[in-house]
Amino acid sequence: MSGDRMTRIWAQVARQARGAAVSVAHVCAAVVDGVGVDGAGVTVMVSPTVRETMTATDTVASGLEDLQLMLGQGPCVDTFVGGGPVLAVDLRSPECLARWPAFTPAALDIGARAVFALPLQVGAIRLGALDLYRGRPGGLNPAELADALVFADTAGMLLLDAAAGTQPDLTELAWQREGPRSYHAVVHQATGMVLVQLGCAVDAAFARLRAYAYAHDMRLRDVARAVVERRLRFDPDPAPERSADDAS
Amino acid sequence: MSERQLAEVFVEMADTLVDDFDLIDFLHRLTVRCVELLEVTAAGLLLSDDRGALQMVAASTEQTRLLELLQLQTDTGPCPECFHTGRAVTVTDLATTAGRWPQFVAAASQIGFASVHALPMRLRTEIIGALNLFDTRPGALSADTIRLGQALADVATIGLLQTRAISRRETLAEQLQTALNTRVIIEQAKGVVAERRQIDMDQSFVLLRTLARSTNRRLSDLSRAVVEGSEVF
Repeated sequence: MSGDRMTRIWAQVARQARGAAVSVAHVCAAVVDGVGVDGAGVTVMVSPTVRETMTATDTVASGLEDLQLMLGQGPCVDTFVGGGPVLAVDLRSPECLARWPAFTPAALDIGARAVFALPLQVGAIRLGALDLYRGRPGGLNPAELADALVFADTAGMLLLDAAAGTQPDLTELAWQREGPRSYHAVVHQATGMVLVQLGCAVDAAFARLRAYAYAHDMRLRDVARAVVERRLRFDPDPAPERSADDAS
Repeated sequence: MSERQLAEVFVEMADTLVDDFDLIDFLHRLTVRCVELLEVTAAGLLLSDDRGALQMVAASTEQTRLLELLQLQTDTGPCPECFHTGRAVTVTDLATTAGRWPQFVAAASQIGFASVHALPMRLRTEIIGALNLFDTRPGALSADTIRLGQALADVATIGLLQTRAISRRETLAEQLQTALNTRVIIEQAKGVVAERRQIDMDQSFVLLRTLARSTNRRLSDLSRAVVEGSEVF
């Protein structure tokens, strides 16, 4: 079941952090061991048009990020635009060359043979991408892909919370109980409502919802339901928000 | 249903599958046709999230209680069972099955559903999701209805794979993830519109869908514009 997968993967990430605050660098280190790739890197979106490499486990991984930023093409670029993963299992295949004519030979030159780009996105929230590479051809098997997607979910939530100034501990109950990602429609609906209430961007609205859940030791979906049922509002001023318990 | 009606639905679906079509709107329409043709009360589609669970991607109505019932089946319920076994699951009377999936049965009964069916979405040897049918009357569906339901589930699979030729397992994973992320964008946009207009989520979906149609845009593109603020709704 997916809950077990999350728990196992958080444990792997937390092990890399060795007691320090968990960062996306720890996710990259853990995913390399976890899914059997040779390296990993994270590119973040600074603004709609500016992206930068945040971390990479080795020079090939950082080279792949640099190439894509420089050439404006590659799996990571496509994953930003499309919102789904881009899994290039063999860069020597004609499809890869046709799809990324400048990136493909350059990536082969620096020693990559397979590249897997996973979006760090939640709907319209585009945080960045997690790129994995192998020096040999071959895809991720279903179990490796499932793990890689959960590593990407974890990296995405770390970026989101870091940008909002909250630094959750992976051992925290809120993460354990709910997972770094909640697919419940009500959470995403509430994000849209909070965006309007605060007049902020969608990523900030989602981060505020999550921060509220941490602070009140509530499940994210319960906070979201209170917003959607109009029992809880978020106000732009720093005044304390009405709690969902008081309002109901 | 008449054969003519049936033919019209398949022609409509085939007509939709042109370049750059709107996947979520297509799947939504398919679930609406399921309700009409199969004479059930409600229908929903769940897709594999490639992490071992199912996620809701379309429903015949966007009423919150139906969406929540579909989402209850992330890990357990008739759809996950259908997904994991690859076989149709039929519950002819929910009243006698409470022990099997207590949370799901309680929620379905509360809405007034008496029977539920799950049909697999198949791609060659892989199962990529399930079509969920609900009825307020107890009882089994006829063999003909099941066959037709399966045909509609297969059409949904074709729609999902249409945007690019699926020759590799990797491409399938890419398509599934993209579809699920698109669904999230639509939920975020529903929230924006619901708050701006002080309406409920169902009305919000109808407004978004109507505007997308009347301006000839994809629901997903319009929804992203609404969330990013480039479209003030």
